[in-house]
Amino acid sequence: MFFTKDRIGGILLLIFCCIYALKIGNIRLLPFQADQAFTARTMPEALAVMGIILSMALIIFPTNRERFSIKEFNWPLGLAFLLLMSLYGFTVRPLGFLLATSAFLIAGFAMLGERSPIKLVLVAVPLVVLFWALMNYGLDVTVQPLPSFLRS
Amino acid sequence: MLDGILIGLTTAFSMQNIMFVIMGCLVGTFIGMLPGLGPMSAIALMIPIAASLDPSAGIILMAAVYYGAIFGGSTSSILINAPGVASTVATSFDGYPMAKSGKAGKALAIAAYSSFSGGVVAAFLLILTAPYLASVSLSFQSTDYFALMVLGLSAVAAFAGKGEVIKALLMTVFGLMLSTVGTDQTIGVPRFTLGMIDLVDGISFLLLVMATFALSEALMAILKKVDESKREEERKAAAELGSMAVTKEEVKEMAPVIGRSSILGFIIGVLPGAGATIASFLAYGTEQRIAGAKKGKLFGKGSVRGLSAPETANNAAATGSFVPLLTLGIPGSGTTAIMLGALIGYGIQPGPRLYIDQPDVFWSVIVSMWLGNIILLVLNLPLIPYIARVLAVPARFLLPLILFFSLIGVYFVSFNTFDIQLMVLFGLVATILRLLSFSLAPMILGFILGGMMEENLRRALLINNDSWAFLWERPLTLAILIIAVLCLFVPMLSPVFEKMRRKTKGTASAD
Repeated sequence: MFFTKDRIGGILLLIFCCIYALKIGNIRLLPFQADQAFTARTMPEALAVMGIILSMALIIFPTNRERFSIKEFNWPLGLAFLLLMSLYGFTVRPLGFLLATSAFLIAGFAMLGERSPIKLVLVAVPLVVLFWALMNYGLDVTVQPLPSFLRS
Repeated sequence: MLDGILIGLTTAFSMQNIMFVIMGCLVGTFIGMLPGLGPMSAIALMIPIAASLDPSAGIILMAAVYYGAIFGGSTSSILINAPGVASTVATSFDGYPMAKSGKAGKALAIAAYSSFSGGVVAAFLLILTAPYLASVSLSFQSTDYFALMVLGLSAVAAFAGKGEVIKALLMTVFGLMLSTVGTDQTIGVPRFTLGMIDLVDGISFLLLVMATFALSEALMAILKKVDESKREEERKAAAELGSMAVTKEEVKEMAPVIGRSSILGFIIGVLPGAGATIASFLAYGTEQRIAGAKKGKLFGKGSVRGLSAPETANNAAATGSFVPLLTLGIPGSGTTAIMLGALIGYGIQPGPRLYIDQPDVFWSVIVSMWLGNIILLVLNLPLIPYIARVLAVPARFLLPLILFFSLIGVYFVSFNTFDIQLMVLFGLVATILRLLSFSLAPMILGFILGGMMEENLRRALLINNDSWAFLWERPLTLAILIIAVLCLFVPMLSPVFEKMRRKTKGTASAD
């Protein structure tokens, strides 16, 4: 049983550490800095070495021998929420806060099983309007409420 | 010291700050009560609001949320046996059996009185010790600070469970790596920005904390499939609480337990890395041992002592964990690590100078601890039947709301949509790491201390003409580094010692 939780985590972090180590070369140093005891590369170099050693130690000597079971989790729903959040990031400016956030919440509630369209709208829309009013008038945080085509 | 307390009283007792304490306690209790969301998530969710306030008010708000969340966590432990945080697990051992036998109100009252007493006693101990420690640490130089940061990071060995030290260290290094993203502070060279302008300023602390705790918490709940029958049970428990009165005999039984557990909790809380969880378990174990055979048998079946001890100790430890934060500038727990990040965001450097340069912040935090505990007792306890209704909010509404508040909290600080995308990415990474049983607190600790550690090391080298000899030539630096090494290796070697001891015992009994 090679693929225990620790080993999978160790492999993922080892890959990250290796990419990190490769990217150290992109840190530019001025000629006079090259001979200094401590440069902008020193700490990343030390961290990369430590990271690689520790992740390899975890792969070789895992403490948690529990296997990772993919079946226990609702992956499609998790991925759908990640997509929804990303989509919200892309739409919050062009669609405006009110529309984008209401759509985000309605979609979220529906994805988790709420079927009544009245409940979906009655929970999401008043909450979003109240939150926007509190931010705008209460805390002076100005955010565009309307879609770009409706702005004057 | 008296002047300081007066400054603290004036600041904390301003109308605005009292309102923040009340709001913080209520919001903290509300969030802490939700299974899965602990003090770290609660504080993370509050940072965007705290950022718009002045430093004293912001820190007072966060401290109040911290206490509220611990109190809320105890409430869900007692009512539905679902500890929101590890530090309230021991509370459920006796709190839940008590609630099941129809004494939920009493259990909540005992927990509230114990938390209050533990918090008040520990705040008093904090007043006595913090200024003294701060004045001692004034003699610290950048070399010592570097060593202190190493000590703070090595405390992750204590954060980690049995045999989990390598994982905790790896997560610390991961956090340190993330802290190197952005422009190098001394030379001004961009590092690991991948050519993206949005990364030139580095990764925002708020973004990382929100993604790591609040976002991943909600994502975990979504992945695990919501159990609606359990929610029905929770709704019923929230509706039936029973009487909240505590008898004279019970008070008599609680008093010595509170005294012992407060001191124990405070001491454990001061030690970097130990924290409220260890304190609560240790207090529970200690009381069980000294209770005697007759009363000891009641532990786990609804014992007053068994409920009071962990509740007192976890609150005392929460207060104690502020000592290293306020005096040395190193966080003693994941929660105080987040608070350290918030303080740095205000341009305040916690440490010995805080006591002198910003006495209003230093003292108002301490005074607000008392105030927070009083408000929790006077306001929150009667409100518990109403606040407990949060347990009845269906998960299908709650989870998208948590995601929304996390995303918007970060967006409203920067107004940069790139931050939302980055947050989604970190949320995914954090969720994967949690599914693989990796603790995320060491990563946050590494991220926060990374920048300061590099800066202090660079300064120390500059002062010492690029010589590394300061590591062993300056006694204080050397002493702190030795403690750090011990912190790191003692937990790693303890299983080996344990095995050796068992072997010798085995050979002795065989002889």
